[in-house]
Amino acid sequence: MTDATMSSVTAPPPVPTGRRGPVGSVLVHAALIAASIAMVYPLLWMISASVRPEDEIFASTSLWPSSVDFSSYVRGWFGLDVSFGRFFWNSLVIAVLTVVGNVVACSLAAYAFARLRFAGRKFWFAIMLGTMMIPYHVTLIPQYVLFLDLGWVNTFLPLVVPKFLASDAFFIFLMVQFFRGIPRELDEAAMMDGCGAWRIYWKIMLPLSLPVLATAAIFSFIWTWDDFFGPLIYLNDMNSYTIQLGLRTFVDSSSTSDWGGLFAMSTLSLVPVFFFFLFFQRLLIEGIATTGMKR
Amino acid sequence: MTHRISRRNVLAGGAALLSMSALGPAFAQEARLRVLWWGSQARADRTNKVNQLFQEQNAGVAINGEFLGWSDYWPRLATQVAGRNAPDIIQMDYRYIVEYARRGALAPLDDYLGSVLKVEDFDQVQIKGGSVEGKLYGISLGANSAAMMVNAAAFEEAGIELPTPSTTWEEMARMGAEITKAGKRKGFYGLSDGSAVEPLLENWLRQRGKALFTADGKIAYDANDAAEWFAMWQKMREDKACVPPDIQALDQYNVETSPLSLGKAAASFAHSNQFVAYQGINKDKLALRSHPLIDKEAKGGHYRKPSMFFSVSAQTKDPELGAKYVNFFVKDPKAADILGVERGVPESAAVREQLASTLDELGRAMLDYVSGLGALAGDLPPPPPSGAGEAEFALRNVAEQVGFGQLDAKQGGETLVNEVSQILARG
Amino acid sequence: MAAVQDTAVAVGTGASSRPAAQSRLARIWASHGAGYMFLLPWLIGFFGLTLGPAIASLYLSFTNFDLIRAPEWIGTANYARIATADPKFAAAVKVTFLYVVLSVPFKLAFALLVAILLDRGVRGLTVYRAIFYLPSLLGGSVAIAVLWRQLFAGDGLINSLLAQFGIEGPSWISHPDYSIWTLVVLSVWQFGSPMIIFLAGLRQVPTDMYEAASLDGASKFRQFYKITLPLLTPVIFFNAVVQTIDAFKAFTPAFIISGGTGGPINSTLFYTLYLYQEAFGNFRMGYASALAWILVLIIGLFTAFSFLTSRYWVHYDD
Repeated sequence: MTDATMSSVTAPPPVPTGRRGPVGSVLVHAALIAASIAMVYPLLWMISASVRPEDEIFASTSLWPSSVDFSSYVRGWFGLDVSFGRFFWNSLVIAVLTVVGNVVACSLAAYAFARLRFAGRKFWFAIMLGTMMIPYHVTLIPQYVLFLDLGWVNTFLPLVVPKFLASDAFFIFLMVQFFRGIPRELDEAAMMDGCGAWRIYWKIMLPLSLPVLATAAIFSFIWTWDDFFGPLIYLNDMNSYTIQLGLRTFVDSSSTSDWGGLFAMSTLSLVPVFFFFLFFQRLLIEGIATTGMKR
Repeated sequence: MTHRISRRNVLAGGAALLSMSALGPAFAQEARLRVLWWGSQARADRTNKVNQLFQEQNAGVAINGEFLGWSDYWPRLATQVAGRNAPDIIQMDYRYIVEYARRGALAPLDDYLGSVLKVEDFDQVQIKGGSVEGKLYGISLGANSAAMMVNAAAFEEAGIELPTPSTTWEEMARMGAEITKAGKRKGFYGLSDGSAVEPLLENWLRQRGKALFTADGKIAYDANDAAEWFAMWQKMREDKACVPPDIQALDQYNVETSPLSLGKAAASFAHSNQFVAYQGINKDKLALRSHPLIDKEAKGGHYRKPSMFFSVSAQTKDPELGAKYVNFFVKDPKAADILGVERGVPESAAVREQLASTLDELGRAMLDYVSGLGALAGDLPPPPPSGAGEAEFALRNVAEQVGFGQLDAKQGGETLVNEVSQILARG
Repeated sequence: MAAVQDTAVAVGTGASSRPAAQSRLARIWASHGAGYMFLLPWLIGFFGLTLGPAIASLYLSFTNFDLIRAPEWIGTANYARIATADPKFAAAVKVTFLYVVLSVPFKLAFALLVAILLDRGVRGLTVYRAIFYLPSLLGGSVAIAVLWRQLFAGDGLINSLLAQFGIEGPSWISHPDYSIWTLVVLSVWQFGSPMIIFLAGLRQVPTDMYEAASLDGASKFRQFYKITLPLLTPVIFFNAVVQTIDAFKAFTPAFIISGGTGGPINSTLFYTLYLYQEAFGNFRMGYASALAWILVLIIGLFTAFSFLTSRYWVHYDD
């Protein structure tokens, strides 16, 4: 039956742009471009800081460096005991596993909460939301003891396994909200055809939820990429450091910091996330074709 | 041991279902030392080389070095200690050593003195500096003293002589005001606002015969002292001898956010072992100077204190090996060559002598400063009590309230003494 | 939670179409088993990884745990101190509420506005979307701390701009009257996540409804108000709830920008920053745990209230 629905897909929606005159259009773009500058300026500053002499970084507010010098990139990449490439690889492994774990485990739980009827559903839903509210600083030490007992400290396991157990309630809640927006008639029709819960989840929910799954993938990747407290506590060996830990190694407020290296590697570290974002945001658009037609 | 088990039962809670609690991590090596320190990559390079050297000379010992920046260091250390997974060798700060030693996280080293720890040629005062409640918990890695970092070029531009060891606060305030008035640079002032800098306040109090804390952990100055301190700075703010409060509040009391490094002031207050770091991010030539005096005859404001320690964890399997490592670190001539004065001026007289000829200009300046304080330096104060860290925060908070005009100097003095007394009473 | 409204249809009809001769057990399985099957990974994670540490921290909130020595039971002393004798708690609550009240509405409004602008067929949509998401890529990086100073310090970019109009601004980021605002701006600047969620939500609005409305001659504003907005309410609700929870728990911005102090004069002392100082700076993990559970209570009340009111304005399709 999903195939039948698919075949009725029409071209992407004729979005009503017609009524915005040329003047309105110019205004909109002017506003968007102005906003874009505010968005981008700090990043430009960071890139500029990565190529300017170290003693200029804090004393100068201009965007233009007095001289351009890429030595910070070389020093940043090779300057630590472990090359920055290693940190990129580690971050990538953790982030990709997290994306898979979050998308799979959270969508399962979200489907149960959004569609299935079972005793205690509201209770578990409330508990699930409750887990979002506890500040992690106070559960950190009990959790550390737990992972230590499991022999997981100094491996990626404490950072990855919880994701496969849907530990991030944010994504469950997010998916619940979107799953509930999918018309129930589709499930019911499938049920009449003898489909079980599993088939409905697989054949209807997931295909119709690409935008939210892509959203979850994007956030999972980026937030994992940016996370530093978990890695700080669980990864001791520099060979298993992530990018954020590597970056913070440049900064020691009690002695000498390598700010040039920090900004150079910060700039580089944005490249993979940005491409990940660009790639997955295409799924957000493709979502139109898949979900725009429903009913 | 018993307390470990009971706590684990509690902590594991429902999670015990999953945990294979009996299985600790198994170590392949016969002897393995984990060493944790804070610092930069430059410090790590030196430390790792020394670790390598130690392994070469001690077959069967493997050393795992880990390092972090200062602000990340403390939460990781606390978590590892709380989880009973502490590193064997812990770099300790003068303030935190009390907190960790009193709570039993560090191993006392007295038994190894003279046998494994051959620190006879240390300045005895510095050994005392690593003691808490009569027991030795840390071996100093370098001597250090509070100091003023001065932008020599800015002084010269304004046509003002650099301060000397006999410069008084009154003179210093005048110099500051003149530099500001000279207006050679945009938005540039003579001094940082040091009213929130605890070591500076301590220096000033000591010249008056007072101190921050008594030996039994109480406050050692009164509201009048504090009020006078705030009033002195209030006057300097009014005379524009120092930076205005909103610029001072940018200072997170580290190298790169100090008004000196931000190009806002010609002098900031710090510690002598940070001189290299300060010079590193400042274009102008800097000079290292002692703190101003309350009057020409004042003495003993400064003291040489350990910049940092190595401590041995109470959880280590082999404290003697730990002590041996620490001894190697502070005494071995080859190690000394590698380490230089990066952690401060070495405490061992032999090592100092060995290094004297090899130092560069900045290292030389540090060595000369710390060993040349003379009568300006007095006795080491008793180790700071529990709650000293919070008391430092309180000073900063009250100093800012005075700076921003929410309190006058007199109210500030009362508030500070009140708050600090309460903090110390709570411990 | 009130929002999860039971609709009996789904599993009920499915069960009745199966062979009649099923045991009671099978019937129970049919109506409850599937749900628990799908929930299994989460349940394992909850019981295995989350519950234990949560109970432990609740227990510790009744002790004087100092990270190193064994905790001692001290009853409700921590809670009593928080309620009666802790001026910093009051300061932290004030700062945090201010931050929640200021940052959440601005951030959401901005994100929604941009999402709507971008959704309505603007040329270069993907470029804009990528640019607007850039700030969120930076997260809580150390670089942010330096960037924000470059913007909001006394001689920062903002004051250079103001100087064009003859205004001499203070050092916004380090002035107790304004520092919280720089954190609000930071939060709003990183509006990428709610924007993406809004965009995904807008994608779910069926386009044939617009077509029908256009045929009826409804104005664009009316279309938005009558069609888009109601269908978007589940997403608006979601963003409001999670952004509020996040804002209550905000830690990193104040931590990196104030260097962990919450200054000047406690003006950026976020609740969790205070909690962190107590736990790791002052060795009072027991006290910090009590603070944490009070925060859970505050957030819980807010969330429960949102769910209670949601039935009046959030429209679900089911």
